[in-house]
Amino acid sequence: MSYQPVLTARVGVVDPASLKDYEAHGGFRALRHAIAIGPDAVIDLVTQAHVLGRGGAAFPAGIKWKAVNEEHGPKFVVANADESEPGTFKDRVIMEGDPFSLVEGVIIASYAALAEKAYIYIRGEYPQAIACVQQAIAACYAAGYLGENILGAGFNLQVEIRKGAGAYICGEETALFESIEGKRGFPRLKPPFPTQSGLFGRPTLINNVETLINALPLVLYGPDWYRQFGPSDSPGPKLYCLSGRVRHPGLVEAPMGTPLSELIYEYGGGVTGSGELGGVLLGGAAGAFISPEMIDVFMDFATLREIDAALGSGVVMVFDTSADIKGVLKRIAHFFAHESCGKCFPCQLGTQRQVEIIDRLAADRLRPGDLALLREVGQTMTDASICGLGQTAAGAIRTALDRFGYEASTGEFYTFQR
Amino acid sequence: MTAARTLTSPQMAALRQILQRYRGQGGAYLLPCLHEAQAVTGWLDADTCTEISRALNVPLVQVHEVIEFYTLFYNEPVGRRIVRVCDDPPCFLAGSSEIVRACARQLGVDEKGGTSSDGRVTLEIHPCLGRCEQAPFLMIDDDAHGHVQPAQIPDLLGEGA
Ligand SMILES: Cc1cc2nc3c(=O)[nH]c(=O)nc-3n(C[C@H](O)[C@H](O)[C@H](O)COP(=O)(O)O)c2cc1C
Ligand code: SF4
Ligand code: FES
Repeated sequence: MSYQPVLTARVGVVDPASLKDYEAHGGFRALRHAIAIGPDAVIDLVTQAHVLGRGGAAFPAGIKWKAVNEEHGPKFVVANADESEPGTFKDRVIMEGDPFSLVEGVIIASYAALAEKAYIYIRGEYPQAIACVQQAIAACYAAGYLGENILGAGFNLQVEIRKGAGAYICGEETALFESIEGKRGFPRLKPPFPTQSGLFGRPTLINNVETLINALPLVLYGPDWYRQFGPSDSPGPKLYCLSGRVRHPGLVEAPMGTPLSELIYEYGGGVTGSGELGGVLLGGAAGAFISPEMIDVFMDFATLREIDAALGSGVVMVFDTSADIKGVLKRIAHFFAHESCGKCFPCQLGTQRQVEIIDRLAADRLRPGDLALLREVGQTMTDASICGLGQTAAGAIRTALDRFGYEASTGEFYTFQR
Repeated sequence: MTAARTLTSPQMAALRQILQRYRGQGGAYLLPCLHEAQAVTGWLDADTCTEISRALNVPLVQVHEVIEFYTLFYNEPVGRRIVRVCDDPPCFLAGSSEIVRACARQLGVDEKGGTSSDGRVTLEIHPCLGRCEQAPFLMIDDDAHGHVQPAQIPDLLGEGA
């Protein structure tokens, strides 16, 4: 635990409303350096550092930055701050505690991608974050960090906030574009990918808030510094959202690949409730449950994929052995049924069937064949849904049934009987 | 949904100003316009939708579709204040069911949500509000309340609130 936070170093230290304070704590040094080395060199840094997208899908950021940079004509940068994955709160902490860092990240990304217009899409349930970022944008215009001929470098950028209106699906990148365009948040079929045809049909670079603020220390300290944290195929500093039955829930910044046990017992101060670990949900509702034997796992994208789990948005939701796991599964099932946009049948119908069966499971009224049907529905959603929502809607429930010793004859989860 | 419009004249004036500002802006400004309009009117009635459609030059059907799609937009009357209680896993583990029950009892509404008979407050069970480290968590309009206890609910939602 000797790690010194970099992404969250200013949170709780600076006055989030003060540009002066931000500058006094190193703010806008990264932008100045980016301008000194030029767009192509910035993209090389992001590529060499192997920055993977922190929004959940872990796509290499350098590839997207370069692809958009190479497109011609008007293009856009979008910061994805929709943050609606249950258990996720990292982007909110950044926006409320250090909003200028997000704005600086957006400016650097736009400079590198040669975009002159950017949007920051923030979920509507984050009024404080919206106010903080709005205020930061206004201060940046006034100080010449936004607008025309930024820092005299001959580049222009307009940034606008878009306030979401309560729809988990709008975090999916193409649904988010539809939403900015004033439509329902129905995901588009891919390809074309956003880097070719995104917002308003134009090349678009979309990144998560955490991905964008990774660019700040990276530009200043370089790829070797960045890659000292975590494994080589999944490097960098990482924000973990610790919640549930731990003594100190909250945002933890630690290296990528930190052992889960360290997050729970050292950063989190250990398990509350019965005091005995029952299981952990990683990656949020769209993620996977893991059992207590697995808690020495390294928390990075590649390792978790290997054990049929997911880092996703960095959710670490802790359950002690006395937790009402059936109540938890019921809420996860209802979440997906509520948030399915209804565009494709496997997900629209599958999330409904899943709710009905999990409601029966929670009420100890499973019918013969229900569990087999649940698996079949889950597999169909995973294989045949258009977007990530449907593709991940069965994962948490499937892994809970497999890893917590569900016994249909008694209706109990072995792990949670204590 | 076709509940009739019941706007006061100051509300009408404020709405007209908003529409004036968004005139001709097109679909890219539909969400911002709906947010601002609803902040004045509380919910979006059929006449307001028609006016927004005309002002922005967006098809009326699109305005209605969008309002129906997004949970933060309302096409029927709601309470003057909206309390959103999170009941997703971290909040559930921290006792959100009791918070929901206390709110429902205080307002005389169903535990699935609803509006108090005096039209003062609407209760909603809302998906994760992104404050899981402060579970159980609820919002009253734009105000955040973390680590809430059932005993606080009468104060938070009572007549004087
Ligand atoms: C249902 C669904 C919800 C999503 N929600 C978010 C979100 O809230 N924030 C986010 O950054 N990415 C979210 N994503 C991932 C985005 O589609 C996209 O991969 C991401 O914004 C890309 O940024 P990154 O490369 O920096 O991660 C979601 C994906 C799906 C399928
Ligand atoms: S998978 Fe679900 S959320 Fe995604 S497009 Fe299909 S219905 Fe909509
Ligand atoms: S689970 Fe309640 S705020 Fe996230």
